[in-house]
Amino acid sequence: MASSLGNTTVYRTVRALVVALLSGVIVAGFLGQIPQLDILEQSARNLYFHVPMWFALMMGTVISAYHSFRYLQSGDRLRDVRAREAAWLALLFGLLGIVTGMVWARFTWYVGTGKWWNFDPKQSMAAVLLLIYGGYFVLRDSMEDPDTRGRVAAVYNLFAVVTMPFLLYILPRQLPSLHPGGEGSPAFSQTDLAPAMRWVFYPSVLAFLGLFWVLYTQRVRLSWIRERLRSEPEL
Amino acid sequence: MILHPLPASAPAPSLRPQQARPDSAAAYDSTWTEQSSAQSPQGLERVMLDDGKIYVVLAVVLIIWIGVVTMLFRTDRRIDTLERRLDQDIPEDPA
Repeated sequence: MASSLGNTTVYRTVRALVVALLSGVIVAGFLGQIPQLDILEQSARNLYFHVPMWFALMMGTVISAYHSFRYLQSGDRLRDVRAREAAWLALLFGLLGIVTGMVWARFTWYVGTGKWWNFDPKQSMAAVLLLIYGGYFVLRDSMEDPDTRGRVAAVYNLFAVVTMPFLLYILPRQLPSLHPGGEGSPAFSQTDLAPAMRWVFYPSVLAFLGLFWVLYTQRVRLSWIRERLRSEPEL
Repeated sequence: MILHPLPASAPAPSLRPQQARPDSAAAYDSTWTEQSSAQSPQGLERVMLDDGKIYVVLAVVLIIWIGVVTMLFRTDRRIDTLERRLDQDIPEDPA
């Protein structure tokens, strides 16, 4: 139970790759060639930084739900820790995604209006999703007994993850939105993204997913130490 | 190149249906106030719209950086808590 915290070599390799890739993505993201478009102009480079936040959120919610499911099967406390940390980081990346999206929208969609938020369906639904995941932590904190807390939070988490694809993809596409990728076809079809930008965008998604995983592993290790200290006071 | 994600037929900012009914004079008011946005950008926009809006990208990257730093500090705080707990426990053992 305690020794199932993963391979240190894999962790260090991923960490080194993430640092190298992210550094490259930042350099290429600022200096690389992009198509010249009105309204977007140079802010199109935000694609490399804003969009991977949502990929990281999606990965986080799915990882969290998986471990919640396994927790319900096994009752292993480590599964509960993993589910909590994955959800916490998903929330962090979601917050970064929504704030970066707000800044981007403020100077493209809402330029000249002075608006930071105008209830665009894509933004509103994303905010609802973040509230749902915020509720997960409120629910956790409301219970003292670790087993009850783990079980109730795991069930809630399984319901929460089901809303994710609806709130991020399905519902916003049914409504008129300024957000790209809502025209019925998948967001990144063959014609949507200039080939030159793919060479930065895909590594960027990989790098941020890797960053998520590194942070997630760190927090799980730390939380697990805390759990063990709590259950074995002689340590 | 597609400059705007909305198709031309999509309902744009809710002014269009009213424009089609010229019997309502108030519908035209908002149409005219729309034009005032053509003035030169003020304050924050003057900075952010400069140099092809590159400062928007800088702001976004900085926000993500702040997020990573937040993580760093929270992890530190958690280590502090664990260290304090260990410090409380260990001196009691030899005594």
